[in-house]
Amino acid sequence: MKTTMDNVILKVSNLKTYFFTRRGIVKAVDGVEFELRRGECLCLVGESGCGKTVTALSILRLFDSPPGKIVEGQIRYDSLDLAECSSRQLRQIRGKDIAIVFQEAQSALNPVLTIGDQIIEQIKLHLPLDYSRARDRAITLLSEMGIPSAEGAMSYYPHQLSGGMKQRVLIAMSLSCNPQILIADEPTTAVDVTIKAQILDIFRELKTRRQMSTIFITHDLAVVAEIGDRAVVMYGGKDVETASVSEIISNPKHPYTSGLIECLPDISKTADRLTSIPGTTPNPLEMPQGCAFHPRCPKAMKICKQQEPPEIITSKEHKVSCHLYT
Amino acid sequence: MGKSWLRDYIIKRLIYTVIIALGILTITFILVRVGPSSPADKYLANLAARGQDPAQVTAAIEARYGLDKPILVQYADYVANLFRGNLGWSFSTSMPVIELIKTHWIYSFQLILLSSLFAAFLGMLIGIYSAVKQYTKTDYAFTFLSFIGISIPNFWLGIMLILVFSVKLGLFKTYYDTTLPLFSLDNLKALVLPVITLGTGMLAGYVRYTRSAMLDNLRKAFVTTARAKGLPERTVIGKHVFRNALLPLITIIMFDLGSIVFGGAYLTEIIFGIPGLGQISFNAIFANDYPVVVAVTLIGTFLVLLINLMTDITYTYLDPRIRYE
Amino acid sequence: MSERLRDKVRGISQPLYSNARLINYYWQRARRNKLAVFGLAFIIFLVLLAAIGPFFTLDPTAVNFEEKNIPPVGFTIEQSVYSIETDELSTKEIHGTRRHPLGTDSKGRDMLAMIVSGARVSLLVGLIATGIAIILGTIIGVLSAYRGGWVDNALMRFTDVMMTFPFFLLLVLIVFIFGPSLAFIVLAIGLTGWTGTARLIRSESLSLRTREFIIAAKALGASDNRVIFRHLIPNVTSLIIIIATLSIPGVILAETALSFIGLGDPTVSSWGIILEAGQHSLNTAWWVAVEPGTMLFLTVLAFNFLGDGLRDAFDPKSNI
Repeated sequence: MKTTMDNVILKVSNLKTYFFTRRGIVKAVDGVEFELRRGECLCLVGESGCGKTVTALSILRLFDSPPGKIVEGQIRYDSLDLAECSSRQLRQIRGKDIAIVFQEAQSALNPVLTIGDQIIEQIKLHLPLDYSRARDRAITLLSEMGIPSAEGAMSYYPHQLSGGMKQRVLIAMSLSCNPQILIADEPTTAVDVTIKAQILDIFRELKTRRQMSTIFITHDLAVVAEIGDRAVVMYGGKDVETASVSEIISNPKHPYTSGLIECLPDISKTADRLTSIPGTTPNPLEMPQGCAFHPRCPKAMKICKQQEPPEIITSKEHKVSCHLYT
Repeated sequence: MGKSWLRDYIIKRLIYTVIIALGILTITFILVRVGPSSPADKYLANLAARGQDPAQVTAAIEARYGLDKPILVQYADYVANLFRGNLGWSFSTSMPVIELIKTHWIYSFQLILLSSLFAAFLGMLIGIYSAVKQYTKTDYAFTFLSFIGISIPNFWLGIMLILVFSVKLGLFKTYYDTTLPLFSLDNLKALVLPVITLGTGMLAGYVRYTRSAMLDNLRKAFVTTARAKGLPERTVIGKHVFRNALLPLITIIMFDLGSIVFGGAYLTEIIFGIPGLGQISFNAIFANDYPVVVAVTLIGTFLVLLINLMTDITYTYLDPRIRYE
Repeated sequence: MSERLRDKVRGISQPLYSNARLINYYWQRARRNKLAVFGLAFIIFLVLLAAIGPFFTLDPTAVNFEEKNIPPVGFTIEQSVYSIETDELSTKEIHGTRRHPLGTDSKGRDMLAMIVSGARVSLLVGLIATGIAIILGTIIGVLSAYRGGWVDNALMRFTDVMMTFPFFLLLVLIVFIFGPSLAFIVLAIGLTGWTGTARLIRSESLSLRTREFIIAAKALGASDNRVIFRHLIPNVTSLIIIIATLSIPGVILAETALSFIGLGDPTVSSWGIILEAGQHSLNTAWWVAVEPGTMLFLTVLAFNFLGDGLRDAFDPKSNI
């Protein structure tokens, strides 16, 4: 087997991020493990509420800290453990080594500052450039992202831009300091189909031209198939299946993954109804016993109600947590 | 597109302001004329003791003040007079009301200005801190204190402060000396208690508004983006969150200024003997000198109108979402 | 119109006061706020004090120079006494007595009696003036929201004009012109304090207007008046209660302030008049200023606590 250890740029081990609220403890991320390799696009897949966004936020410790806390686990980047390092070290990494792009570009930009101000602010924070060089760099970035008349656009306010443009601005902003890792949280979810295609193009280009290592979060398997190299399927705060995208699509092992694939509408077939996975995502305050997926699993066995499934490595770097494979 | 739209808006607002101004004048006029005692009666009561013939005096006064003319003419005269700066004649001090105003307004202005600065500055700081540290004991303490602050009757607070600091402790003097320059150390010392009195209610209000405006913005997505950029927390709060909170805050603060402050300043001046417009109105009440009372009311009201207008325009100009439609 | 449809409409458009379960729910939520409960308790105490207190206290108007400036129970104060015979100033110690638990003022009147009597005045003015202001504000607000068009425009411009006047200054002007009798004061406060209510009720009515049950009622053929009175107004009830509770302290403060500057009704003993006298005798009889002021402060605090608690209880979004 090829050793890929030296190619790993980020390693998340047994990450547990809990939120201590008045109504109870929400175990948003409960033992997630994966590694990101240089130049690859790793997708975190799952329904809303499975913990993928919190995982992403945990990498840079961006969740609200009075209720949230990383109770266990490590996030190895470079020589640091991001789960434990000081705020100062973390701030040097944020926006410079690791950048994150949020969905809802509508609200992710500060409405009372021009987009020029916001991009330049980040550039000047991390790079030793004076104002006019920083400004030039920002303009270059914007035009690379396909924003027309980038120089004029610098003095626009966010509400003057269309949804797709705002998303591009966000991506441009995140790339402004040449990060090693880009985390994208559902960048295509809140936009319409044409913009979605454009954004996916941007990410494809990032991979080919810049060899950017990306963590791409989505609930849409179709997107995963288009741009992902490897995928981590998440459910109930845990990673349930990890494999290369081609493996996952052709040979899904976990029943949840198969369910997700079946949900994809296929235009070539005629059907009366769209398939969906029965049931709803579990209430994070009241997780089911044993395997979190068992209430909705078509292949659930008796042991699934009692014990949490162990992690099993099958062939070709394919990991799955399911009692079916013990 | 931006500039001419702003100009149109200003013109629209000015017209509206003029309409409201006319409404204010009309209501004041109606009040004065409809009141049980005509302006002559009250002066008469004073003169009766000096042995002049009531009937003659009434006729003379009515002729002098044009009270024998039809109502609409009186109204027109009234408005015209106001335009020319003629606010009437003060019976009790024997000078034109406008002169009285000119010599006394500066003291009210000083009091209100210092109190507002004190309240706004401190209030915003505490409000920001309270919002950032939500749910901590400090937050609860400040919230509770600001509750007390808006409930405490400001004239009673003034008296209590005098009792504690002047009478019992002898720290501050309780009178204001107009012979000294405005910002002399002595006068400023005399203003400490009045500013605290007038400022406390405002302060508590500002703490609440700032805290609430900050809380509204603290959980928004752009704040997380700002942190994700690697900005230090104080920049995130101070530049990003506060600027968003500031906009609606300014509006609330300015409107509040009108409704609460002038009443509070009136009472504070009386308690501490500050020779401002509230004081002269108070003196006029006892001398039955109605033109002064009316004038002070009108001035206060028109100031509020002006402040409202300026706030509206400033807000429209500052909020990029409105300016660039 | 079918019976079932009418019942359905009645179900969704049920006003607050006729739904016992809803009232109980709100009451449970309000109870959890300890400050609000304290506020309510104090208000009840005050009402009792005002209602039956006067029967148990001394006569507040009884002047008795022999007993002037006695401190409250438990306090001792030194008074300088000038003796004509010896042409000397000597100091005499005066102790508080249980006969005058809160002391006496400079004319020997019993403080407790005056404060109880003042409570009566404050509560009466508070309730009646607020009542007038609320009724006036609600009518204008609802009318404005419902009729819309030029009626709305005219009413709102008028409201704007009245709102521009600083409340206290206008009050002073009116009472100065019309004379300081208690009736006029109450009327004046009521006729100047409705503007905030009008605005709030109007905006709430506007948002209610587009809600389903109003449209349903109109579709079922209800006349305009019927919709306003049977559907709109009952649903702003909770808002009105909150506004009323939070307006009363302002009204009481206004009346006290008027009495304080000498524009109060001289025939009643309002806390303001006592406070004014107390202001001049801070050296000799500090309690004359402290006592009515404390009562005033506690009263305002109580109503504010209660109003705030009610507001939280009625707001479905706040988690109590």
